[in-house]
Amino acid sequence: MGEVIYFDNAATSWPKPKQVLNAMEYYLEEIGGSPGRSGHRMSISASRLIEEARESVGNVFNFFDTSRIIFTKNVTEALNICIFSLLKPGDHAITSSTEHNSVMRPLRHLEKKGVSLSIVKCNSDGTLNPEEILKEIKENTKLVVLTHASNVTGTILLVEKAASICKEKNIPLLVDCAQTAGAVPMSIDLEKFNNCIMAFTGHKSLFGPTGTGGMCIGSNINLSPLICGGTGSKSDKDNQPEFLPDQLESGTINVIGLAGLKAGIDFLLKEGISKIRKHEKELVNAFINGATYIKGVKIYGTKNPEKQAGLVSFNIENMSPSIIGLILDRKYSIMCRIGLHCNPNAHKTDGTFPDGTIRFSFSYFNTIEQVEKSISALKEISVGKID
Amino acid sequence: MITFFSSQQVIKAEKVLRKNGFKVSLIPGPREISPNCGTALCFEYEKEKEISSTLKKNKIIFEAIHYYPEAKKISKWIES
Repeated sequence: MGEVIYFDNAATSWPKPKQVLNAMEYYLEEIGGSPGRSGHRMSISASRLIEEARESVGNVFNFFDTSRIIFTKNVTEALNICIFSLLKPGDHAITSSTEHNSVMRPLRHLEKKGVSLSIVKCNSDGTLNPEEILKEIKENTKLVVLTHASNVTGTILLVEKAASICKEKNIPLLVDCAQTAGAVPMSIDLEKFNNCIMAFTGHKSLFGPTGTGGMCIGSNINLSPLICGGTGSKSDKDNQPEFLPDQLESGTINVIGLAGLKAGIDFLLKEGISKIRKHEKELVNAFINGATYIKGVKIYGTKNPEKQAGLVSFNIENMSPSIIGLILDRKYSIMCRIGLHCNPNAHKTDGTFPDGTIRFSFSYFNTIEQVEKSISALKEISVGKID
Repeated sequence: MITFFSSQQVIKAEKVLRKNGFKVSLIPGPREISPNCGTALCFEYEKEKEISSTLKKNKIIFEAIHYYPEAKKISKWIES
Protein backbone atom coordinates (compact mmCIF):
# COMPACT_ATOMS: atom_id res chain seq x y z
CA MET A 1 0.00 0.00 0.00
CA GLY A 2 1.35 3.39 -0.99
CA GLU A 3 0.65 6.84 0.32
CA VAL A 4 -2.99 7.54 1.14
CA ILE A 5 -4.56 9.83 -1.42
CA TYR A 6 -7.50 11.54 0.23
CA PHE A 7 -10.02 12.78 -2.35
CA ASP A 8 -13.06 12.98 -0.05
CA ASN A 9 -12.68 16.56 1.11
CA ALA A 10 -16.28 17.43 0.24
CA ALA A 11 -17.34 15.00 2.98
CA THR A 12 -14.76 16.29 5.45
CA SER A 13 -11.32 17.70 4.79
CA TRP A 14 -8.19 15.76 5.66
CA PRO A 15 -5.51 16.37 6.65
CA LYS A 16 -6.10 19.42 8.82
CA PRO A 17 -3.34 21.99 9.29
CA LYS A 18 -1.20 21.13 12.32
CA GLN A 19 -2.27 24.45 13.88
CA VAL A 20 -5.81 23.08 14.25
CA LEU A 21 -4.69 20.23 16.47
CA ASN A 22 -2.39 22.54 18.43
CA ALA A 23 -5.20 25.04 19.06
CA MET A 24 -7.55 22.31 20.27
CA GLU A 25 -4.90 20.91 22.58
CA TYR A 26 -4.14 24.40 23.88
CA TYR A 27 -7.79 24.96 24.74
CA LEU A 28 -8.04 21.71 26.66
CA GLU A 29 -4.75 22.11 28.50
CA GLU A 30 -4.47 25.84 29.07
CA ILE A 31 -7.73 27.71 28.57
CA GLY A 32 -10.45 25.37 29.83
CA GLY A 33 -13.47 27.23 31.07
CA SER A 34 -17.00 27.67 29.78
CA PRO A 35 -17.49 30.89 27.80
CA GLY A 36 -20.03 33.43 28.97
CA ARG A 37 -20.92 31.51 32.09
CA SER A 38 -18.64 32.66 34.86
CA GLY A 39 -16.53 35.71 35.50
CA HIS A 40 -13.25 33.97 36.27
CA ARG A 41 -10.25 34.28 34.01
CA MET A 42 -10.58 30.83 32.44
CA SER A 43 -14.17 31.51 31.44
CA ILE A 44 -13.22 34.95 30.12
CA SER A 45 -10.36 33.45 28.07
CA ALA A 46 -12.80 30.99 26.53
CA SER A 47 -15.19 33.88 25.74
CA ARG A 48 -12.36 35.74 24.04
CA LEU A 49 -11.54 32.65 22.01
CA ILE A 50 -15.13 32.32 20.77
CA GLU A 51 -15.24 36.00 19.81
CA GLU A 52 -11.96 35.59 17.90
CA ALA A 53 -13.47 32.57 16.11
CA ARG A 54 -16.41 34.78 15.06
CA GLU A 55 -13.97 37.39 13.77
CA SER A 56 -12.13 34.72 11.75
CA VAL A 57 -15.41 33.56 10.17
CA GLY A 58 -16.23 37.21 9.46
CA ASN A 59 -12.97 37.55 7.54
CA VAL A 60 -14.02 34.69 5.24
CA PHE A 61 -17.42 36.24 4.53
CA ASN A 62 -16.31 39.89 4.69
CA PHE A 63 -18.94 40.40 7.36
CA PHE A 64 -17.97 42.16 10.55
CA ASP A 65 -21.06 42.28 12.77
CA THR A 66 -19.88 39.39 14.93
CA SER A 67 -23.10 39.33 16.97
CA ARG A 68 -24.80 38.09 13.78
CA ILE A 69 -22.29 35.28 13.22
CA ILE A 70 -23.86 32.26 14.89
CA PHE A 71 -22.23 28.92 15.62
CA THR A 72 -24.11 25.64 15.25
CA LYS A 73 -23.01 22.04 15.28
CA ASN A 74 -22.98 21.83 11.46
CA VAL A 75 -24.38 23.55 8.39
CA THR A 76 -27.46 21.32 8.53
CA GLU A 77 -28.45 22.82 11.87
CA ALA A 78 -27.97 26.36 10.55
CA LEU A 79 -30.08 25.61 7.48
CA ASN A 80 -32.79 24.04 9.65
CA ILE A 81 -32.91 27.06 11.98
CA CYS A 82 -33.49 29.33 8.98
CA ILE A 83 -36.00 27.12 7.18
CA PHE A 84 -38.08 26.43 10.28
CA SER A 85 -37.93 30.08 11.40
CA LEU A 86 -38.87 31.69 8.13
CA LEU A 87 -41.64 29.39 6.85
CA LYS A 88 -45.04 28.72 8.32
CA PRO A 89 -48.13 26.96 6.88
CA GLY A 90 -49.51 28.95 3.95
CA ASP A 91 -46.08 30.29 2.94
CA HIS A 92 -44.27 29.50 -0.30
CA ALA A 93 -40.58 28.69 -0.74
CA ILE A 94 -38.35 28.38 -3.80
CA THR A 95 -35.31 26.19 -4.16
CA SER A 96 -33.30 24.48 -6.91
CA SER A 97 -33.14 20.92 -8.19
CA THR A 98 -29.55 20.53 -7.01
CA GLU A 99 -30.06 20.96 -3.28
CA HIS A 100 -28.62 18.65 -0.65
CA ASN A 101 -30.95 16.78 1.70
CA SER A 102 -29.95 19.25 4.44
CA VAL A 103 -32.17 21.69 2.53
CA MET A 104 -34.65 19.35 0.84
CA ARG A 105 -35.64 17.32 3.90
CA PRO A 106 -36.63 20.26 6.11
CA LEU A 107 -38.49 21.79 3.14
CA ARG A 108 -40.32 18.52 2.41
CA HIS A 109 -41.10 18.20 6.12
CA LEU A 110 -42.73 21.63 6.08
CA GLU A 111 -44.51 20.89 2.81
CA LYS A 112 -46.51 18.23 4.68
CA LYS A 113 -47.49 20.95 7.15
CA GLY A 114 -48.84 23.34 4.51
CA VAL A 115 -45.82 25.15 3.03
CA SER A 116 -45.84 25.13 -0.77
CA LEU A 117 -42.65 24.59 -2.68
CA SER A 118 -41.30 25.45 -6.14
CA ILE A 119 -38.21 23.55 -7.25
CA VAL A 120 -36.50 25.40 -10.08
CA LYS A 121 -34.91 22.94 -12.46
CA CYS A 122 -31.18 23.24 -13.11
CA ASN A 123 -29.63 22.31 -16.44
CA SER A 124 -28.06 18.85 -16.70
CA ASP A 125 -24.61 20.35 -15.94
CA GLY A 126 -26.03 21.74 -12.69
CA THR A 127 -26.13 25.39 -13.78
CA LEU A 128 -29.14 27.54 -13.00
CA ASN A 129 -30.41 30.69 -14.62
CA PRO A 130 -31.29 32.92 -11.64
CA GLU A 131 -34.04 34.56 -13.72
CA GLU A 132 -35.94 31.27 -13.36
CA ILE A 133 -36.31 32.10 -9.66
CA LEU A 134 -37.98 35.38 -10.51
CA LYS A 135 -40.65 33.52 -12.50
CA GLU A 136 -41.56 31.45 -9.45
CA ILE A 137 -41.91 34.31 -6.96
CA LYS A 138 -45.45 34.64 -5.60
CA GLU A 139 -47.10 36.98 -3.15
CA ASN A 140 -46.61 34.48 -0.32
CA THR A 141 -42.97 33.58 -1.15
CA LYS A 142 -41.14 33.88 2.15
CA LEU A 143 -37.82 32.19 1.41
CA VAL A 144 -35.46 31.25 -1.41
CA VAL A 145 -32.83 28.60 -0.63
CA LEU A 146 -29.90 27.93 -2.94
CA THR A 147 -26.66 26.07 -2.67
CA HIS A 148 -23.54 28.04 -3.56
CA ALA A 149 -22.10 24.93 -5.24
CA SER A 150 -23.55 21.47 -5.80
CA ASN A 151 -22.01 18.73 -3.69
CA VAL A 152 -22.53 16.30 -6.59
CA THR A 153 -21.25 18.14 -9.67
CA GLY A 154 -19.46 21.02 -7.95
CA THR A 155 -21.29 23.47 -10.21
CA ILE A 156 -21.30 26.97 -8.74
CA LEU A 157 -24.67 28.74 -8.81
CA LEU A 158 -24.86 32.46 -9.50
CA VAL A 159 -26.10 33.26 -6.01
CA GLU A 160 -25.16 36.94 -6.21
CA LYS A 161 -27.71 37.41 -9.01
CA ALA A 162 -30.29 35.57 -6.92
CA ALA A 163 -29.40 37.86 -4.00
CA SER A 164 -30.26 40.97 -5.97
CA ILE A 165 -33.49 39.46 -7.31
CA CYS A 166 -34.52 38.55 -3.76
CA LYS A 167 -33.45 41.93 -2.37
CA GLU A 168 -35.62 43.69 -4.91
CA LYS A 169 -38.58 41.54 -3.92
CA ASN A 170 -37.74 41.78 -0.20
CA ILE A 171 -37.45 38.00 0.21
CA PRO A 172 -34.82 36.30 2.39
CA LEU A 173 -32.21 34.27 0.50
CA LEU A 174 -30.54 31.41 2.35
CA VAL A 175 -27.26 30.27 0.76
CA ASP A 176 -25.80 26.87 1.59
CA CYS A 177 -22.02 27.43 1.45
CA ALA A 178 -21.10 23.90 2.60
CA GLN A 179 -18.89 23.26 -0.42
CA THR A 180 -17.50 26.75 -0.90
CA ALA A 181 -16.75 28.58 2.37
CA GLY A 182 -12.97 28.86 2.52
CA ALA A 183 -12.37 27.52 -1.00
CA VAL A 184 -14.32 29.87 -3.25
CA PRO A 185 -14.41 33.65 -2.65
CA MET A 186 -17.78 34.75 -1.28
CA SER A 187 -19.59 36.81 -3.87
CA ILE A 188 -22.46 38.21 -1.80
CA ASP A 189 -21.89 41.43 0.13
CA LEU A 190 -23.98 40.86 3.25
CA GLU A 191 -23.86 44.54 4.20
CA LYS A 192 -25.58 45.42 0.93
CA PHE A 193 -27.69 42.28 0.61
CA ASN A 194 -28.92 42.27 4.20
CA ASN A 195 -31.76 39.93 3.16
CA CYS A 196 -29.27 37.05 2.88
CA ILE A 197 -28.00 34.36 5.21
CA MET A 198 -24.80 32.47 4.45
CA ALA A 199 -24.71 29.05 6.13
CA PHE A 200 -21.38 27.26 6.42
CA THR A 201 -19.77 24.11 7.70
CA GLY A 202 -16.54 24.24 9.65
CA HIS A 203 -15.02 20.86 8.84
CA LYS A 204 -14.62 21.04 5.07
CA SER A 205 -12.74 23.87 3.35
CA LEU A 206 -12.47 25.90 6.57
CA PHE A 207 -10.27 23.08 7.95
CA GLY A 208 -11.97 22.91 11.35
CA PRO A 209 -13.01 19.72 13.12
CA THR A 210 -16.41 18.05 12.70
CA GLY A 211 -19.10 19.42 15.00
CA THR A 212 -18.59 23.01 13.83
CA GLY A 213 -20.68 25.15 11.52
CA GLY A 214 -22.86 28.21 11.58
CA MET A 215 -24.18 31.15 9.63
CA CYS A 216 -23.77 34.86 8.95
CA ILE A 217 -27.14 36.58 9.17
CA GLY A 218 -27.91 39.76 7.23
CA SER A 219 -29.28 42.63 9.32
CA ASN A 220 -32.75 42.44 7.78
CA ILE A 221 -33.35 38.84 8.88
CA ASN A 222 -35.02 37.79 12.13
CA LEU A 223 -34.79 34.14 13.11
CA SER A 224 -36.15 32.11 15.98
CA PRO A 225 -34.35 29.32 17.82
CA LEU A 226 -34.80 25.59 17.20
CA ILE A 227 -33.34 24.91 20.63
CA CYS A 228 -33.85 27.02 23.75
CA GLY A 229 -31.89 26.88 26.96
CA GLY A 230 -29.08 28.35 29.00
CA THR A 231 -27.07 31.16 27.46
CA GLY A 232 -25.25 32.67 30.45
CA SER A 233 -27.26 35.85 29.94
CA LYS A 234 -30.57 37.05 31.42
CA SER A 235 -30.21 34.34 34.02
CA ASP A 236 -32.97 35.87 36.14
CA LYS A 237 -35.52 35.13 33.39
CA ASP A 238 -36.80 31.79 32.18
CA ASN A 239 -37.59 33.16 28.73
CA GLN A 240 -35.15 32.85 25.84
CA PRO A 241 -33.13 36.07 25.21
CA GLU A 242 -34.09 37.88 22.03
CA PHE A 243 -30.66 39.25 21.16
CA LEU A 244 -27.98 37.61 19.06
CA PRO A 245 -25.92 35.52 19.25
CA ASP A 246 -27.42 34.23 22.53
CA GLN A 247 -30.92 33.75 21.09
CA LEU A 248 -29.67 31.06 18.70
CA GLU A 249 -26.84 29.55 20.78
CA SER A 250 -28.34 27.72 23.74
CA GLY A 251 -26.32 25.28 25.77
CA THR A 252 -22.55 25.19 26.14
CA ILE A 253 -20.93 25.96 22.82
CA ASN A 254 -18.37 23.62 21.19
CA VAL A 255 -15.34 25.57 22.43
CA ILE A 256 -12.71 22.98 21.56
CA GLY A 257 -14.18 22.59 18.07
CA LEU A 258 -14.29 26.35 17.53
CA ALA A 259 -10.69 26.68 18.77
CA GLY A 260 -9.79 24.31 15.94
CA LEU A 261 -12.03 26.09 13.45
CA LYS A 262 -10.43 29.44 14.25
CA ALA A 263 -6.97 27.96 13.68
CA GLY A 264 -8.11 26.36 10.42
CA ILE A 265 -9.53 29.64 9.13
CA ASP A 266 -6.48 31.60 10.22
CA PHE A 267 -4.34 29.10 8.30
CA LEU A 268 -6.35 29.44 5.10
CA LEU A 269 -6.56 33.22 5.32
CA LYS A 270 -2.79 33.38 5.71
CA GLU A 271 -2.39 31.22 2.61
CA GLY A 272 -5.10 33.24 0.85
CA ILE A 273 -8.47 32.04 -0.47
CA SER A 274 -7.54 33.09 -4.01
CA LYS A 275 -4.35 30.99 -3.86
CA ILE A 276 -6.33 28.02 -2.52
CA ARG A 277 -8.96 28.48 -5.21
CA LYS A 278 -6.27 28.63 -7.91
CA HIS A 279 -4.67 25.41 -6.65
CA GLU A 280 -8.00 23.56 -6.54
CA LYS A 281 -8.86 24.76 -10.04
CA GLU A 282 -5.53 23.36 -11.25
CA LEU A 283 -6.34 20.00 -9.64
CA VAL A 284 -9.82 19.92 -11.19
CA ASN A 285 -8.38 20.91 -14.55
CA ALA A 286 -5.67 18.22 -14.39
CA PHE A 287 -8.22 15.58 -13.46
CA ILE A 288 -10.70 16.55 -16.17
CA ASN A 289 -7.96 16.74 -18.79
CA GLY A 290 -6.63 13.32 -17.85
CA ALA A 291 -9.87 11.49 -17.21
CA THR A 292 -11.68 12.75 -20.32
CA TYR A 293 -9.45 10.57 -22.48
CA ILE A 294 -10.02 7.35 -20.54
CA LYS A 295 -12.36 5.15 -22.54
CA GLY A 296 -15.73 4.77 -20.85
CA VAL A 297 -15.29 7.66 -18.38
CA LYS A 298 -18.16 10.11 -18.26
CA ILE A 299 -17.67 13.33 -16.32
CA TYR A 300 -20.66 15.30 -15.01
CA GLY A 301 -21.06 19.02 -14.39
CA THR A 302 -19.74 21.94 -16.39
CA LYS A 303 -16.28 20.38 -17.00
CA ASN A 304 -15.02 23.94 -16.57
CA PRO A 305 -12.85 24.52 -13.46
CA GLU A 306 -13.86 28.20 -13.42
CA LYS A 307 -17.50 27.24 -12.96
CA GLN A 308 -17.14 24.62 -10.27
CA ALA A 309 -15.87 24.06 -6.77
CA GLY A 310 -12.93 21.69 -6.27
CA LEU A 311 -14.74 18.46 -6.95
CA VAL A 312 -15.62 16.27 -9.91
CA SER A 313 -18.24 13.54 -10.30
CA PHE A 314 -17.82 10.83 -12.90
CA ASN A 315 -18.65 7.25 -13.84
CA ILE A 316 -17.01 4.46 -15.79
CA GLU A 317 -19.29 2.81 -18.31
CA ASN A 318 -20.71 -0.56 -17.28
CA MET A 319 -19.03 -0.50 -13.87
CA SER A 320 -20.69 0.01 -10.54
CA PRO A 321 -19.43 3.07 -8.60
CA SER A 322 -19.25 0.94 -5.45
CA ILE A 323 -16.86 -1.57 -7.05
CA ILE A 324 -14.69 1.25 -8.39
CA GLY A 325 -14.67 2.87 -4.94
CA LEU A 326 -13.63 -0.40 -3.31
CA ILE A 327 -10.77 -0.96 -5.74
CA LEU A 328 -9.59 2.65 -5.45
CA ASP A 329 -9.42 2.25 -1.68
CA ARG A 330 -7.99 -1.26 -1.33
CA LYS A 331 -5.65 -1.39 -4.31
CA TYR A 332 -4.64 2.25 -4.79
CA SER A 333 -5.27 3.82 -1.34
CA ILE A 334 -7.44 6.49 -2.94
CA MET A 335 -10.32 7.61 -0.70
CA CYS A 336 -13.37 8.98 -2.43
CA ARG A 337 -17.13 8.96 -2.13
CA ILE A 338 -19.30 6.79 -4.32
CA GLY A 339 -23.03 6.43 -4.95
CA LEU A 340 -25.69 8.98 -4.09
CA HIS A 341 -24.29 11.97 -2.25
CA CYS A 342 -27.29 12.73 0.04
CA ASN A 343 -28.80 14.53 -2.91
CA PRO A 344 -31.31 12.52 -4.98
CA ASN A 345 -32.50 15.62 -6.85
CA ALA A 346 -29.05 16.51 -8.17
CA HIS A 347 -28.59 12.94 -9.36
CA LYS A 348 -31.95 13.10 -11.13
CA THR A 349 -30.86 16.42 -12.70
CA ASP A 350 -27.59 15.03 -14.06
CA GLY A 351 -29.11 11.65 -14.96
CA THR A 352 -27.17 9.53 -12.45
CA PHE A 353 -30.07 8.36 -10.26
CA PRO A 354 -30.19 5.73 -8.68
CA ASP A 355 -26.63 4.43 -9.18
CA GLY A 356 -24.92 7.70 -8.38
CA THR A 357 -21.36 8.69 -9.22
CA ILE A 358 -17.77 8.48 -8.08
CA ARG A 359 -16.81 11.80 -6.57
CA PHE A 360 -13.25 13.07 -6.22
CA SER A 361 -13.14 16.16 -4.03
CA PHE A 362 -9.86 17.97 -3.61
CA SER A 363 -8.30 20.20 -0.98
CA TYR A 364 -5.38 22.57 -0.79
CA PHE A 365 -3.26 19.67 0.48
CA ASN A 366 -3.73 17.52 -2.64
CA THR A 367 -1.12 17.60 -5.39
CA ILE A 368 -1.06 17.32 -9.17
CA GLU A 369 1.02 14.16 -8.70
CA GLN A 370 -1.81 12.58 -6.70
CA VAL A 371 -4.26 13.49 -9.45
CA GLU A 372 -1.95 11.87 -12.02
CA LYS A 373 -1.76 8.70 -9.89
CA SER A 374 -5.54 8.58 -9.71
CA ILE A 375 -5.79 8.89 -13.49
CA SER A 376 -3.38 5.96 -13.93
CA ALA A 377 -5.49 3.94 -11.49
CA LEU A 378 -8.70 4.75 -13.36
CA LYS A 379 -7.06 3.78 -16.66
CA GLU A 380 -6.24 0.35 -15.24
CA ILE A 381 -9.70 -0.09 -13.70
CA SER A 382 -11.42 0.96 -16.94
CA VAL A 383 -9.72 -1.84 -18.89
CA GLY A 384 -10.67 -4.39 -16.28
CA LYS A 385 -7.32 -4.66 -14.46
CA ILE A 386 -8.87 -5.11 -11.04
CA ASP A 387 -6.91 -8.05 -9.62
CA MET B 1 -18.65 49.38 36.12
CA ILE B 2 -20.56 48.45 32.99
CA THR B 3 -23.00 45.59 32.78
CA PHE B 4 -24.05 43.90 29.57
CA PHE B 5 -26.86 41.69 28.37
CA SER B 6 -24.59 39.34 26.44
CA SER B 7 -21.12 38.04 27.24
CA GLN B 8 -20.23 38.47 23.58
CA GLN B 9 -20.64 42.23 23.93
CA VAL B 10 -18.43 42.26 27.06
CA ILE B 11 -15.57 40.74 25.09
CA LYS B 12 -16.11 43.17 22.22
CA ALA B 13 -16.18 46.07 24.68
CA GLU B 14 -12.96 44.94 26.35
CA LYS B 15 -11.21 44.74 23.00
CA VAL B 16 -12.44 48.11 21.72
CA LEU B 17 -11.70 49.95 24.98
CA ARG B 18 -8.19 48.51 25.32
CA LYS B 19 -7.50 49.41 21.70
CA ASN B 20 -8.50 52.98 22.57
CA GLY B 21 -6.09 53.08 25.50
CA PHE B 22 -8.52 52.64 28.40
CA LYS B 23 -7.56 50.56 31.41
CA VAL B 24 -10.33 48.03 31.89
CA SER B 25 -10.80 44.75 33.69
CA LEU B 26 -13.38 41.97 33.45
CA ILE B 27 -14.75 40.59 36.71
CA PRO B 28 -17.66 38.37 37.80
CA GLY B 29 -20.76 40.58 37.54
CA PRO B 30 -22.15 41.54 40.99
CA ARG B 31 -25.66 40.06 41.20
CA GLU B 32 -26.93 42.97 43.29
CA ILE B 33 -26.27 45.23 40.32
CA SER B 34 -27.46 43.11 37.43
CA PRO B 35 -28.49 39.51 36.82
CA ASN B 36 -27.96 39.77 33.10
CA CYS B 37 -24.47 38.70 32.32
CA GLY B 38 -21.92 36.68 34.25
CA THR B 39 -19.16 39.13 33.49
CA ALA B 40 -18.94 42.89 34.03
CA LEU B 41 -16.39 45.44 32.89
CA CYS B 42 -14.65 47.69 35.44
CA PHE B 43 -13.04 51.01 34.66
CA GLU B 44 -12.10 54.24 36.37
CA TYR B 45 -15.38 56.07 36.93
CA GLU B 46 -13.88 59.44 35.96
CA LYS B 47 -13.65 58.17 32.36
CA GLU B 48 -17.37 57.38 32.22
CA LYS B 49 -18.29 59.79 29.43
CA GLU B 50 -15.39 58.91 27.18
CA ILE B 51 -15.95 55.20 27.64
CA SER B 52 -19.67 55.44 27.06
CA SER B 53 -19.18 57.36 23.82
CA THR B 54 -16.46 54.95 22.62
CA LEU B 55 -18.81 52.00 23.15
CA LYS B 56 -21.68 53.75 21.41
CA LYS B 57 -19.45 54.75 18.50
CA ASN B 58 -18.47 51.11 18.08
CA LYS B 59 -22.11 49.95 18.29
CA ILE B 60 -21.52 47.89 21.41
CA ILE B 61 -24.70 47.21 23.30
CA PHE B 62 -24.47 47.49 27.07
CA GLU B 63 -27.09 47.40 29.77
CA ALA B 64 -25.98 50.24 32.05
CA ILE B 65 -23.09 52.06 33.63
CA HIS B 66 -23.06 51.87 37.41
CA TYR B 67 -21.06 53.51 40.10
CA TYR B 68 -19.74 50.60 42.15
CA PRO B 69 -18.15 51.88 45.38
CA GLU B 70 -17.36 48.34 46.54
CA ALA B 71 -14.72 48.21 43.83
CA LYS B 72 -12.41 50.38 45.95
CA LYS B 73 -12.17 47.67 48.58
CA ILE B 74 -11.17 45.04 46.06
CA SER B 75 -9.24 47.19 43.62
CA LYS B 76 -6.06 45.21 44.24
CA TRP B 77 -7.76 42.12 42.85
CA ILE B 78 -9.59 43.89 40.05
CA GLU B 79 -6.33 45.26 38.70
CA SER B 80 -4.37 42.02 39.06
